Amino acid sequence: MSWLRASAARRIALIGFCAYALAMLLVAGAVFLATHAAFSRQISQSIEHANAALMAEYRDDGLTGLSRAVAMQHSPGPISLGTAVFAADGRHLAGNLATSAPAPGWQRITFFDPLEGPDTARAKVTLLPGGERLVVAADLEDLQAIDRAILSIFAGAMLVLLGIGVGGALVLARYLRSKLAVIEDTASAIVEGDFARRAPIGHHGDEFDRVAASLNAMLDQITSLIANLRQVSADLAHDLRTPLTGLRNHLERMAANGEEQVAMALARTDDVLELFEAILRISEVEEGSLRRAFTRLDLAALLGELSETLDLLAEDAGKRLETRWHPGLAVLGDRQLLAQVLINLAENAMRHTPPGASIEISVLEREGHVALQVRDNGPGIPEADRARVLRRFVRLESSRSTPGHGLGLSLVAAIADAHGAALTLGDAGPGLIVTLTFPRKSAI
Amino acid sequence: MRWPKPLVSLIRMKILLAEDDPDTRQFVEEALGEMGHGVMATASGAQALDWARDSGADILVLDRMLPDLDGIAVLRALRGGGHGIPVLMLTALGRIEDRVDGLDAGADDYLVKPFAISELVARINALTRRTVPVEAGPCFGGIALDLRTRQVTRDGRAILLQPREFRLLEELVREGGAFVTRKMLLERVWDFHFDPQTKIVETHMSRLRSKLNEGFAGDAIETVRGMGYRVRPS
Repeated sequence: MSWLRASAARRIALIGFCAYALAMLLVAGAVFLATHAAFSRQISQSIEHANAALMAEYRDDGLTGLSRAVAMQHSPGPISLGTAVFAADGRHLAGNLATSAPAPGWQRITFFDPLEGPDTARAKVTLLPGGERLVVAADLEDLQAIDRAILSIFAGAMLVLLGIGVGGALVLARYLRSKLAVIEDTASAIVEGDFARRAPIGHHGDEFDRVAASLNAMLDQITSLIANLRQVSADLAHDLRTPLTGLRNHLERMAANGEEQVAMALARTDDVLELFEAILRISEVEEGSLRRAFTRLDLAALLGELSETLDLLAEDAGKRLETRWHPGLAVLGDRQLLAQVLINLAENAMRHTPPGASIEISVLEREGHVALQVRDNGPGIPEADRARVLRRFVRLESSRSTPGHGLGLSLVAAIADAHGAALTLGDAGPGLIVTLTFPRKSAI
Repeated sequence: MRWPKPLVSLIRMKILLAEDDPDTRQFVEEALGEMGHGVMATASGAQALDWARDSGADILVLDRMLPDLDGIAVLRALRGGGHGIPVLMLTALGRIEDRVDGLDAGADDYLVKPFAISELVARINALTRRTVPVEAGPCFGGIALDLRTRQVTRDGRAILLQPREFRLLEELVREGGAFVTRKMLLERVWDFHFDPQTKIVETHMSRLRSKLNEGFAGDAIETVRGMGYRVRPS
């Protein structure tokens, strides 16, 4: 059933097909019933006619005339009739119908057909004034044969229609899916950062073309908004950098003359510039256009490459660091950004743990996903604060005294997001465990 | 103006500067001039292109955004004409993509504004140094490296280094007695084009220094704040 649940196109095609099949069944049923009723009525009329003719003989010539007429009775029409006259005591007086005397009125009787044995027939039984009974009967086999013929024609037709219906449903489902896949592909490409992508528009002007056209109009609008935003931030970055450069230049010139106060001002200016760069970098990563330059990157090898540096930083900070990796675990990403994630997470762990703490950085494979994990045995982060620390400029009360702007983890969060990786902060009991889980390897 | 001594050059270089911001242009022109170089400065990309083709300058310091002909176009025109003058691109655009664009267009180095003049000078020095033919063993100040066996000696005495320390020392020795900035080391040794905001370079350098100096009286590496590191000439 998942075959159906996952596809609206298939469901629509199936519903269409069912409605079609139901309509066919109703038509077939109506035709069958109408034909059956008409033929049945014709049988009854033939019986009435024959009965009327025989009664006329009876009125003219009495029982003798009737018996003669019955004996001579043959069926001229398309329907074979049988007749018989029975005495009041039930004796068979005349006629070709091999049956026992039935009760008066319309009856369904059983008679003996010399060719086919016992058979059913519809009969009109008339009670004559002398107590005799006149039976006029029609064999129902013809009616049944017609019923069977109609049913078999319709069954054949239904089989053909079933084939056409199933085929049509499959074609319709495929058509709907292919039309929708175009729109889906466009949307995915946009999510991947390809803002130039547009849905192709057909020339029919149908619903799909109109949806594609609206989607494209929406994308044009978004692209122009993004372009504006980018222009504004590029202008802002440029327009701020130019006067800051001027300021820094003057300070550097003055500092070269050996004035201590100016050297302090220069250092403060550099702090501001550093913060400015960090904010711009987070915005650039969040915007997602860097994704276009992503390549297959061996994350385990990157950790291996940086382990010497990380070891040294840990040693310098008085922490114990262990790095472990399974060779050959690759992700789709950017080396610069992922190196920064490693450095930031290691730095974060070293900064917020007491002297002598243990830190473990590993690249591992879990349920088909490559994961990067940094674990320490420090104080950890209370559960209520875990989501908050990923936001910009957020610093917890406990770390007010440590240096930093509170941008390290938000940059990690932005980089994780750009890589489609899930970032989770957990309790290492005691300590913090930060995990980046990358998309499945098949996506590389 | 009293620029720190290491910035003052003994070799007079001919430097072309294309920069449209008057403040930066004046500052860089004056600073480089005071350090003993000949500087020709302009705000025009077309003018810079003409000069670069004809003047026989040692280096072109080129701003990315110029009013007439932008930096990328100047660079393309130069490289398209097979001109190999070293080009250091300056930019107020600090995006990762911008740097890639600049290097793709043929820039030899890329510096984002605002920059310290020492950073600019260190990079100009690195770009204009007459490249020594690649040999297996660069040496300077009594320190000799064997790139094949990865062995290091100071005054003939063998010193054991970790791979990253070896790379650091290699960069310093290759530069001869010139200063190498922290940023340049991050780019060349770690391939980090971002500031990791940790003391990566300082930590490695202090380890390298203690290994090099063990058993020696003099410090093999000189550090000047705000400028960087160099191998002390013996």
